[in-house]
Amino acid sequence: MAAHRTSNRAMFWRIIRRLFGANPGRLFVMLLALGAGAAVTAALLNLEVDAKRRLTTEFRAFGANIVVAPVGSTSLGDNSTTLQEQVVARTIRDVGNPSTVAAPFLFFVTGLQRGADSLIPERRKQVQVVGAGTELGAALHLLIPGWGASQLGIWDEDIPAKGYCFVGAKVAEQLQIHDGDVVELIYGAHVERLKNIRNISTGGDEDSQVFIELRTAQQLTNMNGRASLTEISYTGTPQEIMRFRSELAAKLPDAEVRPIRQFTEGEAKIYNRISGLLTATVAIVLVLTGLCVMAAMTNVAMERKNDVGLMKAIGGSVRRVLRLFLAEAALLGLAGGMIGGAAGIFLSIGLGKAVFGVAARPRLIVYPIAVALTIIVAILSAYPLRRLASIRPASVFRGEA
Amino acid sequence: MFLRLVADSFGRRPRHKLLTGAALALGMAVATAALSVALDVGDRLAKEFRSLGANLLVTPQADSLPLEIGGVDYRPVNSGAYLPEADLGKLKTIFWHNNIVGFAPVLEVPVGFAPLEAPADTQTGLFHTPATRVVIGRTTLIGTWANHLVSVPDGSRFLTGADKTNGWWKVDGRWFTDGAKECILGRSFARSAGLKLGDTLQIESPKPGILLTVTGILTSGGAEDNAIVAPLAVAQKLADKPGVYRQLSVSALTKPEDAFAKRDPQRMSAAEFERWSCSPYVSSIAYSIKQVLPGADVRVIRRVAEGEGQILTRVRMLLWLVTGAALLAAALAVGASSAASVIERRMEIGLMKALGAGSGTVGFLLAAEQLLLAFVGGGAGYALGIILARLLGEGIFGAAPEPSLIVFLVVIALATGVTLLGSAIPLRRASRYKPAPILRGE
Repeated sequence: MAAHRTSNRAMFWRIIRRLFGANPGRLFVMLLALGAGAAVTAALLNLEVDAKRRLTTEFRAFGANIVVAPVGSTSLGDNSTTLQEQVVARTIRDVGNPSTVAAPFLFFVTGLQRGADSLIPERRKQVQVVGAGTELGAALHLLIPGWGASQLGIWDEDIPAKGYCFVGAKVAEQLQIHDGDVVELIYGAHVERLKNIRNISTGGDEDSQVFIELRTAQQLTNMNGRASLTEISYTGTPQEIMRFRSELAAKLPDAEVRPIRQFTEGEAKIYNRISGLLTATVAIVLVLTGLCVMAAMTNVAMERKNDVGLMKAIGGSVRRVLRLFLAEAALLGLAGGMIGGAAGIFLSIGLGKAVFGVAARPRLIVYPIAVALTIIVAILSAYPLRRLASIRPASVFRGEA
Repeated sequence: MFLRLVADSFGRRPRHKLLTGAALALGMAVATAALSVALDVGDRLAKEFRSLGANLLVTPQADSLPLEIGGVDYRPVNSGAYLPEADLGKLKTIFWHNNIVGFAPVLEVPVGFAPLEAPADTQTGLFHTPATRVVIGRTTLIGTWANHLVSVPDGSRFLTGADKTNGWWKVDGRWFTDGAKECILGRSFARSAGLKLGDTLQIESPKPGILLTVTGILTSGGAEDNAIVAPLAVAQKLADKPGVYRQLSVSALTKPEDAFAKRDPQRMSAAEFERWSCSPYVSSIAYSIKQVLPGADVRVIRRVAEGEGQILTRVRMLLWLVTGAALLAAALAVGASSAASVIERRMEIGLMKALGAGSGTVGFLLAAEQLLLAFVGGGAGYALGIILARLLGEGIFGAAPEPSLIVFLVVIALATGVTLLGSAIPLRRASRYKPAPILRGE
């Protein structure tokens, strides 16, 4: 009995092998269709997950999305409306993720004039501006997120920024200050000579401000360790941003942690739209591609009438014949899925690099999913062969039907 | 005879033709849906991005530097320059007037305020005996438009205001009516001053006081949370600056800036300048606004404009790639299907050749069959794809993409190309067949 079963099984696999070998053209075509489906499935699934994550990073092009400010802060100049900048910074580091950027700001009103070019005294125009003491590197990331080191020829983010400043475009226009010029900050009796790294233009309030190193500002205004507010750029989905905000608020009871609604609201709305669009498009593409592959495969399978007729004629039961063809389809699905799935994952890595400049992280879970889906599609598309059970072998051979 | 052969092939193997047609139609439906969405998404998303508010800021050129910290301007009231409100209609006359979705002028006045329990002289709204009331605090009054009908010089009218440019402002209650003695209060301000909806507020500036009724509480997440927002006319009266404003936010639909857009327009050649000003870049819109508002300085709000451009470019590219992948998969599957249908017809081909048909005639016959299928399948697929794209567009953006002729042409061309290419390879092999072994079944 056991020997009988073994020889049966051996026969089964032999037939399967022959089925594959019989028509290499057809085999290639089937693998192509299934592989294409699997590749697109794997690529889109991988890209979809990655693109959503990547989008949250892209949104940081809007700069800060959360502000930590003293409760009810409106005016300047006294300690009740400033915060312990170190405490806030440490808390943000504890709660935030590695990509969180935070910059404290200490605002004060100060006089500003161009630095003297020569020793000969000259009349220089002096204006009142808002000075902002901050961490220049971090602040720049928040204010002009597109700027990198390449735009800042003379200054390296890593060296101490003492003695340097950024001048807002409107201020620069009024005082005729150019990149690299020396400016003088006049606060009471103090005069601070600073080198302007670059004029910055944001289109906002920052254009009429001067940005200097936080320590210098604290010493000038005699407010050591204080900051008027801290701006934070937190990367995450809208839900993650809200969670971060409430965690931060819980740890900083004497501060108000408020979202910059202009960006948090807009981001949430746009993020939902884009991720919805992506999911829906990917779903439609996958379903239609699946159906398309299935129709193509069924078409191929239906051509097997002669084979079915022959097998029935030499005494194969419908169940056994069907099992043979389903096994063949499953194997084809497995092969097509494995080849296509791998191709798709590589494709998505390339696509991710093309779109976001960073290669998409391949997710291994996508691979078995793509393979399984392909096998299912292959089996489903062979299933209509069941209808062939009703054909009479004789009529097939006579070339009828 | 030729037509009869083709018709016979369809009639004799209806199920085969149906399946090949279905594969084609489904493949082309994918292509249509993905293409329609990818073509449409830029415009739709650009509109969504307007919820981020203004991307252009207009200020007087001669203005002194604002000393603004936390939304409070520390400049003396009378310093600085102003722009005339009457000019604003001209914004809708520029070349890109259809791209301007909204604008709102702003005039800020530092004021003192005192809550008033019972509205006194509501007919005139003027409060003539300020000495009897004690000013309890100082804040900023922001004068702007809520929903204001602007007369455009060409005779039409345009409804705009802060409701359009500052979409993230949340007003509990309702916006004030422009021209009425009403205001909305920033959330933090309302809480600290103990004011609520329906209260009346006496506003003091160096000018005689005005009584304002609170119609809403504003949550903005910015400096406005600590301010009073009132109609522009009220602020003008308080500041004694009739018909002027100090700052204008403009929200415009733009095209993401590329390297060309970032060049200095003054150094472009005439042809380049023409091309630049005929593209809705944020910088070229800023340029044309400057032309109609004399004395104004128009600045691009970089965070908004650049962030928007970057994300739009990325998303559009992403969708094009998804579309490309979908097209590829559809093409391969459909091509495979047509290839298979030719491979399986070896017997038929052999028979035709045995009867004396040349390779060209056989190829022509099969190609005609495939083409017919491509047109029918492609057309059906296009219809199905358009319906899917509609559902998608309506579900996500609330508006369906317009069916476009280009998509139809591309889809039909793709269907034809793919089926022909799919059948061409096996047909080439078929042309080398010798009829005899095939008919013998070898």
